Order: sequence, then C-alpha cells, then structure tokens
Amino acid sequence: MAAAKTRTSTFSRNLSTAAPSHGPGLKCGPNGTVFLSSGIPDLDKILGGGFPLGSLVMVMEDAEAPHHMLLLRNFMAQGLVLGQHLLYSSPARDPRGFLGTLPSPAASKDDKSRERDPDQEKGLRIAWQYKKYFGENQLDGQRDGKHEYSNEFDLRKPLERHFINGPRIDCVSIQDCPDLSTLRDRCATFLSQFPRNDGSISCAGRIAIQSFCAPQRAYSNMEWDMLSFIRSLKSMVRSSNSVAIITFPPSLLSPSFCKRWQHMADTLLSVKAIQDEDKELAQLLTGYQDMVGFLNVHKVARINTQVPVILEATTFSIKLQKRRYLVLECLNQAPVDGSSGTSYGTSGGCSSSSKTGNLDF
Amino acid sequence: MAESICRALRDGALEGELAPALTIKDSVASPFALQVFSHVLSQLFSSILAGKSQSRGLVVVSFSRSPSFYLDLLKNKGTDIASSNNQIQILDCYSDPLGWKDQLAGSRNFTALSNEVLVSSTAIVFREVKHMDKLYNSIIELGKGLVGGGKIRFSIAIDSVDEMLRHAPVSSVARFLSNLRSHDQISSIFWLLHSDLHEARVTAVLEYLSSIVASLEPSHQLANGQRGDLENFSLIKHNSKKGKFHVRFKKRNGRVRVMSEEVHIELSGINFTSLPSEGAINQGLVPKVQFSLQLSEKERIDKANVVLPFEHQGNGKPIQIYDGRRSLVDGKHERPFAAVENVQTNENCGSGEIIYYRDSDDEMPDSDEDPDDDLDI
Repeated sequence: MAAAKTRTSTFSRNLSTAAPSHGPGLKCGPNGTVFLSSGIPDLDKILGGGFPLGSLVMVMEDAEAPHHMLLLRNFMAQGLVLGQHLLYSSPARDPRGFLGTLPSPAASKDDKSRERDPDQEKGLRIAWQYKKYFGENQLDGQRDGKHEYSNEFDLRKPLERHFINGPRIDCVSIQDCPDLSTLRDRCATFLSQFPRNDGSISCAGRIAIQSFCAPQRAYSNMEWDMLSFIRSLKSMVRSSNSVAIITFPPSLLSPSFCKRWQHMADTLLSVKAIQDEDKELAQLLTGYQDMVGFLNVHKVARINTQVPVILEATTFSIKLQKRRYLVLECLNQAPVDGSSGTSYGTSGGCSSSSKTGNLDF
Repeated sequence: MAESICRALRDGALEGELAPALTIKDSVASPFALQVFSHVLSQLFSSILAGKSQSRGLVVVSFSRSPSFYLDLLKNKGTDIASSNNQIQILDCYSDPLGWKDQLAGSRNFTALSNEVLVSSTAIVFREVKHMDKLYNSIIELGKGLVGGGKIRFSIAIDSVDEMLRHAPVSSVARFLSNLRSHDQISSIFWLLHSDLHEARVTAVLEYLSSIVASLEPSHQLANGQRGDLENFSLIKHNSKKGKFHVRFKKRNGRVRVMSEEVHIELSGINFTSLPSEGAINQGLVPKVQFSLQLSEKERIDKANVVLPFEHQGNGKPIQIYDGRRSLVDGKHERPFAAVENVQTNENCGSGEIIYYRDSDDEMPDSDEDPDDDLDI
C-alpha cells in the first residue's frame, strides 16, 4: 500500500555497535564467521559469501580436464592481490612455474560499466517511488567494497610480477619427499602466522595443495598417511585464520578412501569435463557451446551453526566469457520432451525451443 | 580416429605445455594393441622422415620385443632404415633388462649365448630397468644424440609399460612418465598397456597421465561362462579379426572428444573404418526418457486415419446405445497413445478404429453446437 515503512516491534536485535574491523579481503558473515573470497565472484555468491576462515575446501578433479586449475588460479591470485599470504604445493618439480600462469584482476571492465550507468539511467524511466533505491552512492559503495573483497580475474592477463615475487608466497615441492612430514611441517609453520584469537584479524592465509594424491608423489600409495595428513591439516586450519584448498583426483583413490576424504572436507566441490560435440547434451542444455565444464557443489561449510545450507541448484556450468572471465551459471534446461533432469538444478530458461513440435495433439 | 591420433602426435607439444601422451590399451578379449602401436609407430616415423612433424627423431624403448622386430616392421612399411640411422634409436631393454648376462659372462668367463643379430648402430642395450632415473637419463641422452641439444624435439615410444611396472613401483613409473612429458625436448610420447595385467588403479593412473586414451574393445561382448557354445565360437572368431577402437582426447579447452572406429586386422596390417552404426559413443549425462513422445511415419498415418468417436459421423447411421446384451469383440490394439474410454478394434480391418457406444440415454448426446457459443464476451 503505502511506501515501505520500517517495521517497529518490541524486539530489536542487539547488534554490537563495534563490528570488528578486519583486514582487506575479509568479510563478516552470519554466525560470527569471517569469509574470504574464492576469487570467483559467482562461486562466492553460491557459497553464501565465500570460504569461511578456518575451513578446509576440497575439490574433486576430473582426470580428463584441468578445470581444478582454474579454481586454484583464481583462489591464489585473489589472495596475492589482497596481500594475503599463500602457501602452494604441487606435484611438479618447480611449483613456481605455475605462479606465472596466475591471472590478473580485470579492472577495466568495471570502469567501463561505471561510465555507462548514468547514460543508461537517463534512458530508463524508473517509476518515481523506486528512484531512491538507485542512488549513485549506493552503487559506488558497493563496487568499492567489492574490490576490496573479491575481484574478477582476466585469465588472459598474467599477474604482475611484483605480486608473485613478494615475500608472502611460499612454494613447496614434495616430489622427491618420501613422506608427508615435510609438507606437514611447512603447513604448520605457515599457519602459525595466523593464530585465531578474539580480536580483529590483521591478515589471513591461504594454502593451496594441488593434486594431492597425484601418482607422481612418492607417498601416493600410503593412503592412511595421506588421510591423517588431511585430518591434521584440517585441525590446524580450524584454529587459525586461513583457508586451505586441496584438489585431488578421486579416480586414483580406492573408493573407501575417496569417501573418507570427502567426509573430511568442510566445503566439497567437484569439477567434471564436458564431452565435445555431444548432440544430446547440446539439445538438453542451452548455452552448451560456451561451456567448458561442470562444477558441482556437494557440501557447503557451516561453522558455528547446525543449520545446513540447502542450495537451489548444485550443478553449475563453467563458462569462460570472452575466453577471459570465469563465470558459473545455473544450468538452463532447454524445453524438451519433459525428461526429468533430477541431477541438474534447473531454472526456467525461456529460450525458444529448437525442436518444432511433432507433438501437436 | 587413428588419423587424429597420428596428427596429434605429429603436431607435438606447445611451448610451456606438457607433451601429448597416448595410452594404447587393450584386453584379452580384443588383443590388438600391438598392431595399433605398430601402426602409430610407423606413421609417426614416416612423418618424421618426411619432415612433417614437430619431432626430428624417435626413441623406441623396447621391453617386450627385440629391437630387430621394430627395424623389420619399419622396413616392411617401406621406410629405409639404413639411411635413417640418425632419426631412430632403440633402447633395448629386452635383451638383458637386469644385467644378468653381464654378470654371468663376468663371473664365469663364458660368452653370452645369444645369437641376436647385432644392430648396435641403432640399438643400445640397457641393463638397469629397476632404476627409473637411469632409464630416464639414458632416454634423454639417446634423444639428444639424435637431434642435438637446444630446442629440437624428439618423440618416444614405449613398448609396454607393463614390463616397466614389473620392475618398478607405480609411483616411480608415474614420476618417470610425467618427467618425460614435462621435458622441453620431448615432442610426444606413447605407450602400450595390457589392462588385464594390472589392477584398475594402475590403469587409472596411466590414463590420468595421458592426454589421449585409445582403448580396444571386442565388437561383440561374449556372455560369461558359455565358452563352449557354438554361437560363441563364431563370436570369438569374429573378435579375433575385428574390434572397436575408442579414443578419448583431452583437449586444451577442457573438453573431452570421444571418437570410435572399427578395427580390422589383416595380414598386411590394420585397417580403421568408421563405425557402421551411429557415430560417437555417447556416455552422456543425458537423463534417459522413459517413453517415446515422438511418432514414426507409420504411426502418424495411422493417427490420421482414426475416426474420432463423435456419436454421429454425419453419414446417416443410426445412433446406437449400448444395452448390455451385445458382446463386443475385443481385439488387440496397437497404438502408442490411447486416449478414449472404449477403445476396441475390429478384428477384420487392418487399421485401428475407435467404436463408441453411449451407455444410456441419460447422458447428454453429443451435439453439433459449440458450447462456447453462448459465452458473452
């Protein structure tokens, strides 16, 4: 009826006036959790803010596609750009080589859209009672805040050298190490820099372990040892202000260990390859041509609460917009015979059907 | 397709990327991996000789066959070995893989009893297959000897990773292969694998390490436990000459290309033809629909021929009301979609009919008037 009135009731939430100010790249979330960005704005939105500090993220790779590298690159680049510390381990002889492939934040895109907005505003006729929601200040504030927390990355532009050569990166190559004690010690020393206490958080840390059970690693058949490493890493991370992300190819583990590892994760994601020139899939999904893979969200971290997150959709398509920007989209099922896509999250895509109806009963 | 595989190996590696790696995998039911391997080997070598490929030399690491096998093979395919000495080298891990002959000869002072033809200019004997590092170094040395240092690349063919796995654990073989792939001077690498000899995990590891996986499967699956059947004999005979060849390419953009072909083994070699049935095997994520919602041509014609059950068809017949005393002939009806209450077909006519008798006079008769006519819009 009338213009929106703020509801007054006898109950008023007791917000602590001094929200603790955190360092760059950290955002407060519900239940006292603090988030840091995954480097992919769409993924942050899906997960409800980002990765909570103190959580362990595991990504199940697909042996046929390198999409987990995309996730890792964005994660690592985001940390470096915001001045957070990073520990990286990979099965290659020289992990530093990978740092050269990290993407750079795409700054120019936002500036362009900022210029366009006022012109667009003039063209649009917004009903008068809603104009107050489109104030310039709001938009600006939002954007600046976003930059401090998360960026969109341009995968074609490499990260500037000064980010990579800074003192905040540590690389561990454990190709020749017979067991995990070296890696565990390095993680322990790294995490000791970010102890968790009640005050404000000055800086956060990120650990990225790529292809943890890759066959090249000497310990790759010591399954119990790997599991206990994950467990100790998880407990170390939980008591510090950092996020650890581990990627692993589940096809190389025995099924029972695969399940155990999945249980260890606070947030569990998996990536899947897409078959090329798959006509059935092309008919089933809109936008098939641009997709490079699928991302499934199996578990979302819930720390300090017992309420689970129920996502509307758990499968997303990974697309590279203009071959530069990683976006995640809900799957849109093309209007088809009524097959029940129970394994996909669907949202009504009203694109025109490619099939002319034989079905004209 | 075999063509695309050979092309991929020919094109080789890009700067900064891992070299393409091919796994040729077979099983007892369809044991043609050696023929496929030989085919790929000879194709790659002829393109190296012709200068059409990125690599300038080929190193064959032979575990399961003597070096003379490869030289004969290439000779039979028409390539001139004598003049191409500086483009192929064979690391002979077949004659004396563990160095026993050496030890025997040394300790007992008798000459080795081998009567192999020495092809020492192209083959070098390697005696320490348990040490993957030394194997790696020897291969790189051989390759550099072929093409020199610098940026020129060479290819590697490994006959049978199975033998390597006998002598060394999976993780060192995996490390060996991935180090080879990441070496600057390696253009492409391919190997042979008999999947029955290993646990599933080992096959998974090798598939993880390769960028192209080619697997051979029998064209007709044999039923288990019925090997004595006459039918199965012909199937087995069939399978000994033909098979299916499935290839999965891991492309750079992260997509997987799946292709299939039929494979025929003849005396002269191996032939690849495209599959007679539908193109690529689809192991898709597509949910299967349980019923068919489409009409075939015949069904569409039949549908057009059905007379819809209005009470009077305008042809003067009296309206009949079912009075319970008639026995109605039941026939079988064959229509994919049946929509009406009383559907019976007359046995005599070939097509379907819908015969409708009104149950009693109480029901409103069908009228010609459109009930929507009295709507006041």
